Amino acid sequence: MKDCMITFRSVTPAQTAEGLLQKANIRCQLRRTPRWLQEQGCGYSLWLSRKDTMEAVSILREMGVAFRKVYLQTENGAARELEL
Amino acid sequence: MIYLDNGATSFPKLPQVQDAMEWAMTHCANPGRGGHPASMEAAKVVYRCRERAGKLFDCPPDRVVFTENCTQGLNMAIHSLFDPSDTVIVSGFEHNAVMRPLTALHAQIRVAGERLFDPEDTLRAFEKGLKKGAKGAVFTHCSNVFGYILPVKEMAQLCHQYGVPFIVDAAQSAGILPVSLKELGAAFIAMPGHKGLQGPMGTGLLLCGQDLKPLLHGGTGSQSESMEMPDYLPDSGEAGTLNVPGIAGLSAGICWILQHNMEESFRREKKLIKLCAEGLKDQGYRVFSGPEQGPVLSFVGDFDCEEMAQSLSKHGIAVRAGLHCAPLAHQSAGTLKTGTVRISLGPNNTAHDIHRFLQTVRSHP
Repeated sequence: MKDCMITFRSVTPAQTAEGLLQKANIRCQLRRTPRWLQEQGCGYSLWLSRKDTMEAVSILREMGVAFRKVYLQTENGAARELEL
Repeated sequence: MIYLDNGATSFPKLPQVQDAMEWAMTHCANPGRGGHPASMEAAKVVYRCRERAGKLFDCPPDRVVFTENCTQGLNMAIHSLFDPSDTVIVSGFEHNAVMRPLTALHAQIRVAGERLFDPEDTLRAFEKGLKKGAKGAVFTHCSNVFGYILPVKEMAQLCHQYGVPFIVDAAQSAGILPVSLKELGAAFIAMPGHKGLQGPMGTGLLLCGQDLKPLLHGGTGSQSESMEMPDYLPDSGEAGTLNVPGIAGLSAGICWILQHNMEESFRREKKLIKLCAEGLKDQGYRVFSGPEQGPVLSFVGDFDCEEMAQSLSKHGIAVRAGLHCAPLAHQSAGTLKTGTVRISLGPNNTAHDIHRFLQTVRSHP
């Protein structure tokens, strides 16, 4: 279940991240960031399973791919920021 | 038609380039602007091209900026690096795509190295220019008029030694000679997509070794609440909708380059240039050739260059005559008054083409 979201400022870094995570066999899906989570306007996110999130974040940090925030989707459809 | 005008654009375009463009026109919407499949497909096409360009030019994909042509990339790079009255060193073989933006900026242009096919002279003059002090340098990798391949690695080293940033105009070398952003350590490398890279016209790339100051301002699909352009690449250099069909074609062209042995193609074209140079010299023409030469060759004789080109055209041979938008290069070589006839080869040319060309030149009244 893809219940976590890593947000990016534009599509290009999100695509760079997508490629890196796919290489590490982490399944993820590229989507638009919901408007209420957007900072400074439009952006894209990678949705992935919570169990993969820690590894994904450490890969992105290691490879220097800038991302904004990481969110967990809660049962009521809201999102909670994860501090990783 | 025997096409010997690849320095202007590659022609005809590869079938896979045409197919990729047609496919994009029916499957791709606006990339980076939406989340629906057609927008996401377009984003994939665009990113794939960044990746391929990054692989070919040793550059991170997000530092590959799409432009309309090499000229636009050079304007963006010059705008990023220089301010009015800055002293900028250029080689003696620059195209107007370098000279006009620098002139419009009111830069102090210092020309260094005017001897053709003499890399030692180029380096000596270039270092002398750097010693006098300069804000930066702009130089072509390969002269679009004479095919002279400048010693860009050594020029880059000199720039590093003197601590000045530089821009490389790779209009005639991208896809033909090895070009590495990482190895050169350039601030920017500009190139067209439609020449050696085999892509369609209206495409180009700017490889960014440093951050870009936006020249064109507008929508980027990012940071939309701000009235200012994003300060990060590639968005800072890509205001407005991208030419997705063009980028799809360019991507197919770069893919073709990556699948072929560039060095072997270059050796083959170099042999043809040598064959052509010898044939023209045998006919008594003044031919500009040397060991450091790309697949471009100019010659002059007791004829009007435009009339010679017209005569060749009537016989089904396409060449270019005149100043080739590079008066500085002609001034350096002493051909500003006459212009030259230029032949420029591509991957489709054969020895047969050169023999036909030489026969036709011989028959010119």
